[in-house]
Amino acid sequence: MIIVDTESDIPLYRQLSTQIMEAIVRGQLSPGDTLPSVRAFAGDLGVNMHTVNKSYHELEEKGIIEIVPKKGAVIIADIKSQVSSDHIDNIGKQFRPLIVEALVNGMNKEEIYDVITNVISKIYEED
Amino acid sequence: MVELAIFLSTVLFVSLIQIAIPFLVKRTVAFGVTIPYEQTRNPKVLKYKKWYAFVTTVVALAVIIGLIVLSTILDETKLVLVGSLFPFFVLFSGLSLYFYFHYKITKLKKVHEWYSGIKQVHYADLDARSKDEMLASFVHFIPMIITVTLIILTVNLFEQLPNQIPTHWGPDGKPDAFTDKSWMSVLNLPIVLFVLQLMFFGINFFTKHSGIKINAGNVTSSKLRQLRLRKYSSWFLFVTNIIMTLLFAGLQLNLLYEQLFSDSFLLLLPFVFLLVVLVGALWLAVKVGRVDSDLEGKLATGESSKIESVDEDSYWKGGLFYFNPNDPSIFVEKRFGIGWTLNLANPIGYFVILFPIAIILILSFLIFKWF
Repeated sequence: MIIVDTESDIPLYRQLSTQIMEAIVRGQLSPGDTLPSVRAFAGDLGVNMHTVNKSYHELEEKGIIEIVPKKGAVIIADIKSQVSSDHIDNIGKQFRPLIVEALVNGMNKEEIYDVITNVISKIYEED
Repeated sequence: MVELAIFLSTVLFVSLIQIAIPFLVKRTVAFGVTIPYEQTRNPKVLKYKKWYAFVTTVVALAVIIGLIVLSTILDETKLVLVGSLFPFFVLFSGLSLYFYFHYKITKLKKVHEWYSGIKQVHYADLDARSKDEMLASFVHFIPMIITVTLIILTVNLFEQLPNQIPTHWGPDGKPDAFTDKSWMSVLNLPIVLFVLQLMFFGINFFTKHSGIKINAGNVTSSKLRQLRLRKYSSWFLFVTNIIMTLLFAGLQLNLLYEQLFSDSFLLLLPFVFLLVVLVGALWLAVKVGRVDSDLEGKLATGESSKIESVDEDSYWKGGLFYFNPNDPSIFVEKRFGIGWTLNLANPIGYFVILFPIAIILILSFLIFKWF
């Protein structure tokens, strides 16, 4: 199930990337699965093909899918695999501005942990 | 009497579909206007639908009585002329009413702000494509074998054919118009058939590659409806292709081997074709129209949430013609009727439908020298 919100401030392509990653996290998509073609997916969603294309390229850059000629977008991200220290560093860098914002608003460590725990359980709950 | 029976059954068929349409279309589209699920049982919406059904029924009855009365007054030729207009009365009255209620519901929706407080989303189901049961497009190549055989047969028998080729048959099944023998006039039927088969292939192919539209407000029903429409319409298309091929083959064989079939058999063929298509259309309307329409009854609980698919009314001109440059789909589900309609913003669609028709028209112009 993929849902993108038209009224959100987050661009459609980024919402789409997040939704695809969530489907992988929930196990609805596994390594080796192929995503629909750009045309078919855009048709199903009723959005422009550029939106889907942009999202696929973003996911390719992040190493989550691989675009194989004639086969399409294949999932390569494996939730069971060992994450590299480079990747952890990278995620940490992306977290930093958000954590700073939380701290500057007076949140403490526990509160931030709680937020993260909540988000994680929400991701698994949604179907 | 045969003419009267044909007109009556045509009017009856057209009227039945016409009257039932508002109750067979997606319940989230009333007279071509998108409405949220929570408004599908709105008393005013239901009232408009009932009024539409009532008035179209009255018109249909008037037309049927009119036809019967006329048949006692007019002679056969006049009855054929006048009678063929009658189904259009039904269609025209239906269309006028459609536009009237389209306007009324557009106004209702605007005044009462039916979409305020509803989150509009784009929805897709990654599983839907694996559950899609449309026939493979290549099945339309199978009847082409018959077409190719017909062409080879015709080429081999060309020398032996008479110098005059029949092009029109009278009500007694005997030819009453002829054209000179030439490669074009003799091969006309198989070539037209081939072009039509290609068109059928194209329709199936591009429908398959069009979006599977699911409404986020009621995923279960709207998904089932889309999958049924795809599956059964592809079957309908294939059966039509087979019957059409048999019809053309019968006519062509009769041209090649004189007196192969009796006159009455040749007369019967088009009626069998018509009957199969009409019955098939009704069957499709019932199979698809039962799901996610007013006929399905009340909504499954918990699904009439505050999330709905995006209101795409701005892309539907008059609620009937789809023009959406963002949507790569070539065919989308009709809004007032059962079946598919073209996304007019996509040039491929014009190519699939208009190009074959243009070829067939040009061929007939060349052969019958209509210029």
